[in-house]
Amino acid sequence: MTNAGTPRVGAREKVTGAARYGADHAPPGVAYAMPVVSTVGKGRITGLDTAEAAAVPGVLLILSHLDDLDISPAGYIMADGYAFQSLQPLLDDHVAYRGQPIALVVADTLVAATEAAGLVRAAYEEEPFAVELDADGTETVLQQEALPLPFLSDVVVGDADGAYERSPLRVDEVYEAGPQHQVPMELIGGVAEWRGDTLVIHEGSQSVGALRGGLARQLGIDPENVEVIAPYVGGGFGQKNSLQPHIAPLAVAARRLGRPVKLVLPRAHTFHAASFRPVSRHRVRLGADRSGRLLAAIHEVDQQASRHDLLPATYTEITSRLYDIRKFRGRQRHVRTDAQTPGYMRAPFEHPAAFALESAVDELAHAAGRDPVELRLANDAGADPVTGKPFSSRHLAACLRRGAELFGWAGRSPDPGSMRGPDGTLVGWGVAAGAYPAMTVPVLARLRAGADGGVLAEVGGHEMGQGITTALVRAVAGDLGIGTESVRAVCGDTRAVPHHLTAGAWGTNSSLLAVHAALRELRERLGVPPEGPVDVAAAVRATGAEEVVAEAVTQGPGQPPEAIDRMRAGLVAPAGPDYPDHVAFSFIAHFVEVRVEPAAPRVRVSRVVSVADCGRVASPVTADAQVRGAVVWGIGAALSEHSEVDPRYGGFVNADLADYVIPVNADVGAIEVDFIDEPDFTLNPMGVKSLGEVALVGVAPAIANAVFHATGRRPRRLPILIENLL
Amino acid sequence: MTSEVATTLTVNGQDVRLDLDPRESLLDVLRERLGLTGSKKGCDHGQCGACTVHVDGRRVVSCLFPAVQANHRSVRTIEGVAGPDGRLHPLQQAFVDHDALQCGYCTPGQVMSGLGCIAEGNAGDDDEIREHMSGNLCRCGAYTGILAAIRAAAGRREG
Repeated sequence: MTNAGTPRVGAREKVTGAARYGADHAPPGVAYAMPVVSTVGKGRITGLDTAEAAAVPGVLLILSHLDDLDISPAGYIMADGYAFQSLQPLLDDHVAYRGQPIALVVADTLVAATEAAGLVRAAYEEEPFAVELDADGTETVLQQEALPLPFLSDVVVGDADGAYERSPLRVDEVYEAGPQHQVPMELIGGVAEWRGDTLVIHEGSQSVGALRGGLARQLGIDPENVEVIAPYVGGGFGQKNSLQPHIAPLAVAARRLGRPVKLVLPRAHTFHAASFRPVSRHRVRLGADRSGRLLAAIHEVDQQASRHDLLPATYTEITSRLYDIRKFRGRQRHVRTDAQTPGYMRAPFEHPAAFALESAVDELAHAAGRDPVELRLANDAGADPVTGKPFSSRHLAACLRRGAELFGWAGRSPDPGSMRGPDGTLVGWGVAAGAYPAMTVPVLARLRAGADGGVLAEVGGHEMGQGITTALVRAVAGDLGIGTESVRAVCGDTRAVPHHLTAGAWGTNSSLLAVHAALRELRERLGVPPEGPVDVAAAVRATGAEEVVAEAVTQGPGQPPEAIDRMRAGLVAPAGPDYPDHVAFSFIAHFVEVRVEPAAPRVRVSRVVSVADCGRVASPVTADAQVRGAVVWGIGAALSEHSEVDPRYGGFVNADLADYVIPVNADVGAIEVDFIDEPDFTLNPMGVKSLGEVALVGVAPAIANAVFHATGRRPRRLPILIENLL
Repeated sequence: MTSEVATTLTVNGQDVRLDLDPRESLLDVLRERLGLTGSKKGCDHGQCGACTVHVDGRRVVSCLFPAVQANHRSVRTIEGVAGPDGRLHPLQQAFVDHDALQCGYCTPGQVMSGLGCIAEGNAGDDDEIREHMSGNLCRCGAYTGILAAIRAAAGRREG
């Protein structure tokens, strides 16, 4: 490809403050909203006193269940709906969890709205609630019974229990991770505005199509009359992957007032207003021969759920395939608690699943007396052990070998506690692998070639910082042999094209597939050869038109045509990783050095090497950043991030950025990133798999394994805190 | 009801007169009254640094800074960093060159803080930069790029 290091598209706008995010929109006459949230863990609202709040000068409106908001349910995203959960607050007196919105105050100014929101008084009839996996009052259900869909049934290959019992070497441990919150820097919020019968929403979203379809359903209007505009999203990480329940009431307020209304949720509210990574508990049993060759694995998972929805879990999708394990049994259960519905947070299942499996594999390597890299290489898989199909491509062994070399793994002394830094700190070196599905979703791409030689690419995808627009611009420019400055990409705007949700690391490969097809169509319409450089201006002028437009819709291999209808409606429709003729996954290997202070065992990550197999690298600059960022995520996930619950109060108690501790600059040491960069043409003609999620998978267990190597203490719960190492 | 306070301040070299509610933060005034939306709200509690601006040359988190307190002071925001001809400041250019950003939401605060870090003489070595940039959170995790950008810009400007 040309343009080896295409700089990030939009960087100039971002360093000058010119980039406009949802809440940056400030239409004339805008009013300001502020929610009031429940202060009990569960119950019923028996009284709501808004008199004092309504008396605050500037207050325009107070919405609650006492009004008839005329809002219909949007439905749960994983049940043919649009919303992060099925529950829509403000419609009745039921309180399902602490932090649930119970009223929305709208005022002329933000200070008035904030003051008034603090004056709304609610009385409750409280009910007992449960917020922890082991609490009284939880309810546990088997996934394959509660969600009877083929891809959600337990993975069972052969008689794993029998093979485990017969194995000479066995590991049987329980690992736990979560809950955690995504906390993108951009707060949840935006502006709702009516222009005639058209509702215009400016709000950061990974799924403008879901907002459009969901708001149309909630408000009983035509989706054609909803415009959602989100060219920039200040981080998503799964939090902004669906319709959130604050928007429909905002639209109702804007309609009643005849004014645009802006809402920016306080950071504390965001811990309850959207999804989070649920707590999950994993019992992993590994059986192996004396050399560490894996004979059987059993992976049983309990995942936190809400009372009202079940988040379909796919933890065993990767743990059954990371190695050549011929006997595997998975079991996934849901534990209903009194919280908002948990959801997707970067590598939602794969990060905790890899923590469990890759910690257990490290325990096995230690028990077998084998080097952890060598043991992983000895257990590498050829074909998919679950389906018997080939992998579209699999370069995990290459990731491990190259990573070991870059890291200098050969210099590792195997015994725990045997390496020390010059300052006396305990040094630990750990390794772990990761995998993540390479899924494909339906995408519509439209290319507009102008007589000035420029090309506008309107694509159903979202730019959350991952670099999709850079990859798109680079692909169009590279194909046509023109400069990247001649190409512009429009993402996250329902006025341009319909949009599928961008998540699951399927955004770049799926949108590149559509652009690839649209480029073939464009070349045909321009009357130029199917390959080679194009003088776009001359070719457009030769047609006699000012602009030549080409459009293509693509989908995943084996997907039914209805998938495209679902995409147009803003519903989810991913294909893979189990495709008709192959299974497709990306892979990664992480090598980590930790330094542990000997007295108070504070852990610092001094050095990380990560080598990824994501197929062909679509955009080197932004791909590198994706992996670096994911390593930072892994440091947070392993060492500090934990959403605390208190069984006395419900909700999450450390709901701000001082107490929910994400890594800062001083927490991050050297990070080296490399790519195998082998195109996967079995999966798609660009050879691109997935990257944004796999990059995180395995970082936390690599850190945990390094902590074990440094200290001899085996962390089995995330985050790993000082008190766990004393 | 709170009575309003007449306030005069300079923002990016322009004189501004406003009648302000004493509870209004400098951040909200910049964003909602003056249309300067480059400064971002990430927490409203001084915990994330996305709202960092300079007041009389010192970096402050504008969400914790009452706007009335900016009376007779000079405020510089991200919108006042590039040259009038649109030419990027060397630190902004370094952020682009070192890909020191992803989603871009924290970036204005990182740039304003980075300018402060260099001007304060706290960009002497990597550890010093890391320490003095740790009030600015970046959830995308662009920290190594931010470090490289500040290191480069500091070197370019003699210290």
